[in-house]
Amino acid sequence: MLGSSALSAAAVLRGRRRRRFLERSTPYWLIVPTVVAIGVVLGYPLYWLIKLSTERYGLFELIQHHGQSVGLHNYASVLHDSVFWHTLLRTVIFTVANVGLTMGLGLAIALLLLRLSAWVRVLLTSGLVLVWSMPVVVAAQVFFWMTNYENGVLNYVLSQAGLTGEQHDWYASTFSQLSMVTLLIVWGALPFVVITLYAGLAQVPHDLLEAASVDGARAWRAFRDITLPILRPILLILTSLSIIWDFGVFTQPFLLIGQAKTQPGNFLMSTYLFEEGYFRTDFGRGAAISILMLLIVAILSVFYVRKMVRIGEEVA
Amino acid sequence: MKQAAWNALGLIVFAVMIFPVFWMISTAFKPDDQVIALKPTWISLRPTLSHFTAALHKPYFWTDVKNSAIIVCVAVAISIVLALLAAVAVARYRWTGRKAFIALIIGIQMLPQAGLIIPLYVALARYHLTNTLTGVIITYITFVLPFSVWTLRGFLLGIPKELEESAMVDGSTRLGVFVKILLPLMGPGLVATSVFAFITSWNEYIFARVLLNDQGKQTATIWLSYFLGTSRHTDWGALMAASTLTAIPVVVFFLLVQRRIAFGLTAGAVKG
Amino acid sequence: MKRRSIVALSVVAVLAAAVMTATSVASTKKATASSITVWLQVDAQSGWPDLVAAANNQFKSDHPGVSVNVQYQNWGDHLQKFDATLAGGGGPDVIEMGNTEMTKYMAAGAFADLSAAKGSFDNSANWLAGLAKSGVYNGKTYGVPYYAGSRVVTYRTDLFSKAGIKKLPNSTAAFAADAKRLYAKNTQKGFSAFYVAGEDWYSAMGFVFDYGGGIAQRVSGKWKGLLSSKKSIAGLTAYKNFFYATSRAGKTATEGAPNPNPYDVYAQGLVGSMIGPSWFSCCVGAKFKGSTAQFVMPGHVKGTSMPGFLGGSDLAVPVTSSNKSLATDWIKDFTSTAGEKGLQAKGNIPNATNLLGNSVNERAASRSWFVPTAKHWVDVENGNILRNMLGQILTGKLTVKQAASSASDNIASVLNQS
Repeated sequence: MLGSSALSAAAVLRGRRRRRFLERSTPYWLIVPTVVAIGVVLGYPLYWLIKLSTERYGLFELIQHHGQSVGLHNYASVLHDSVFWHTLLRTVIFTVANVGLTMGLGLAIALLLLRLSAWVRVLLTSGLVLVWSMPVVVAAQVFFWMTNYENGVLNYVLSQAGLTGEQHDWYASTFSQLSMVTLLIVWGALPFVVITLYAGLAQVPHDLLEAASVDGARAWRAFRDITLPILRPILLILTSLSIIWDFGVFTQPFLLIGQAKTQPGNFLMSTYLFEEGYFRTDFGRGAAISILMLLIVAILSVFYVRKMVRIGEEVA
Repeated sequence: MKQAAWNALGLIVFAVMIFPVFWMISTAFKPDDQVIALKPTWISLRPTLSHFTAALHKPYFWTDVKNSAIIVCVAVAISIVLALLAAVAVARYRWTGRKAFIALIIGIQMLPQAGLIIPLYVALARYHLTNTLTGVIITYITFVLPFSVWTLRGFLLGIPKELEESAMVDGSTRLGVFVKILLPLMGPGLVATSVFAFITSWNEYIFARVLLNDQGKQTATIWLSYFLGTSRHTDWGALMAASTLTAIPVVVFFLLVQRRIAFGLTAGAVKG
Repeated sequence: MKRRSIVALSVVAVLAAAVMTATSVASTKKATASSITVWLQVDAQSGWPDLVAAANNQFKSDHPGVSVNVQYQNWGDHLQKFDATLAGGGGPDVIEMGNTEMTKYMAAGAFADLSAAKGSFDNSANWLAGLAKSGVYNGKTYGVPYYAGSRVVTYRTDLFSKAGIKKLPNSTAAFAADAKRLYAKNTQKGFSAFYVAGEDWYSAMGFVFDYGGGIAQRVSGKWKGLLSSKKSIAGLTAYKNFFYATSRAGKTATEGAPNPNPYDVYAQGLVGSMIGPSWFSCCVGAKFKGSTAQFVMPGHVKGTSMPGFLGGSDLAVPVTSSNKSLATDWIKDFTSTAGEKGLQAKGNIPNATNLLGNSVNERAASRSWFVPTAKHWVDVENGNILRNMLGQILTGKLTVKQAASSASDNIASVLNQS
């Protein structure tokens, strides 16, 4: 009797220790696959990128598989280039405009979705997914067709409605070029933001919202006190993601403005990187610009990220 | 009355958003002279299926669609599972290195992709994974994982911890709580994230282009690019038809999963 | 509960592993001596697949047991792909390069030296000068001319005859006068007697070379810009005047995407004549196919032709290839006299003068110009220096002299980069 209970006590102790070990090591097991996946694929490219940024590495060096170390020369050359700074400023303004429009319109449409009858809601969400599913290359071309000077639908409609006199060249100045790009990007980004916010709204307790929406006068308070707190993490996440994506967006400006018209006056960071680094096959310089972009985006989004991390602290 | 006003607004938003897509699809049915005409034709009165026929007859269409489907489905499935696990770890546990992991997740997304093309190719070449579907799948997983983890974490944080705590008081194990409470509430979030992962991977071009050589292994987006790649005349009608065709699987996928997002249909919502 | 999820996870893992092994077993057919890889542009796939097949058959009969894997590339990203393979391996044994793309890669040592094999290519003694030059660097041959294309004027025979133009213009002055007549008879909005996009540097530079000017020249090891020379300025001024007299296209419009193509504008009946590659005639629309013909762009001196830009492709063997002699043999088969004649039949200019026929395209090639064979020429093109210069001239932002001098200095500094 005594022997077996001692044995069982030891077994219980072992089981408890095992469970505590499992409990403490669980998060690590959970992230191992992700870390392995990312590390295996991106480990070498990241190392390469950093190493390359300190080397003189053009096409010749690429073929030789060997670059010449030049220390921080690439960084110095980029940071001394006035085009870099002008482009940076332009990209920051561009990002603020894009993210603002995307999040503002996205939230508005997501809230609108709540108010719609079921059939309109399904129609609108299906429409959004159709927009989402259009390949960017095609969307850019269609956009250009719609807005071009010679036979664009936009000009046609505006002149028929008597709103503009003659054909308007929507690509005449840098401001209008980038405005067209903004339109294209926001249009393409709305589906994800709207659907994700709507999914977030779906997590809000149904009966609470229903009770609040019955009395319209308290709609704003209901939104502020019930919906917003639940949406906050998702809003912050979407904003930080949008900042990251819009800062580095490449395909839309490159295709809509066209390679022939992309020049220092309308560079964004990504087209600047592409032209300076890869078109000219100056891979060392391209790597330096990439690292600089990484650092800049990190700084830009640190506010949101820290907020996200802090929210996580409160909950966990 | 008010409902009608909201619906009208919804329809206006729908019309504005959908217009470029409508333009693409309508152009796919237009005969060539209407495609380039100065005066736009809204809906062609002489629709033609010739562009669709031309597109379907371009070699490797079905093969490339099949390849895209395999790549995207496997990549998204694996990514969502991995991302969910990691999101739970980050959102629900305290552990050293958590902040570093978050920094890694966010940092990866900030890397301009253009810079990664050549080094990624070299890395995969070492594993003999260039010109394989596996290589592309692994690449896509790497791109999709970070924002999936980040987004799913957001959804997880929106679920009150009290739900889990009360369930554990009732005797459930951690895993039980996960399966019975968290997973159902995560439904909409999982769907939104997987749709995004699906679309991003389906429409991805440059990495697939550089990694895949044999035409029998290429993806639908590469197939699409052949309409634009010549230095000569581009057949716009056929391109629009081809784009419409490649967009269909995405829409189908979404329609299959969209019911999970529908407001009010989430199972296991807070009762009382 | 736990067991079930472990089972579920392991099922996922096994499935994933299965897919991976399945796809990787069916994967990399390593380029051993049993096959060679050829990269051609999509133009070949849609334009002359039969010629490719013929070359493959010839090759296979000479080398039984070696198969040919032809992979088609897009102009937009084939260099990015090529760069990746130069770094990581897995590249082709034969690659088609645009003639303006060659110099940069030759200077970087990307290609195998084919000088020793040059004599064995059909008609190599008579290769078109403009095309052959693009494949030579430091006296060594790296590229084999594949095919070329020149620029011609495609015009509406019916509009010309209605305007009373009995003879085709034999000088730019005569052409400008004909344009006046066309405008008199065609007053609809948006009509251009001669459609050329303002910043179409391929056409504009023809004027510069017609007046004896140039873009850049190598003088004692350094590049010197020639646009600021008197002759070049005369050419640019002539282009400016000609544009004002004949074209209503955008002054800052470029010749390519995303702008509308000249033949699309032509197809709407808004163009009397346009300049461009000879294949433009493919796409003038069913309505005008019957009333379309071509002639050689005249120069400013009566009876001469304007130098046309000789575009084209070369074939090269990357230095990373492990089947260089097989690759060279394939190129021999593809650019054989029969092959070149086949290309000619499809409307291209064959690679040797002894094969030249009398089509408009080929006659236009008799006077041609080419870009400076400089390592960094591609950077000039990508930097849009010439396009911007033309835009400034045509909009009047700068005088011809100012725009040309600044462009000239710009070009020289880009070309002289180390």
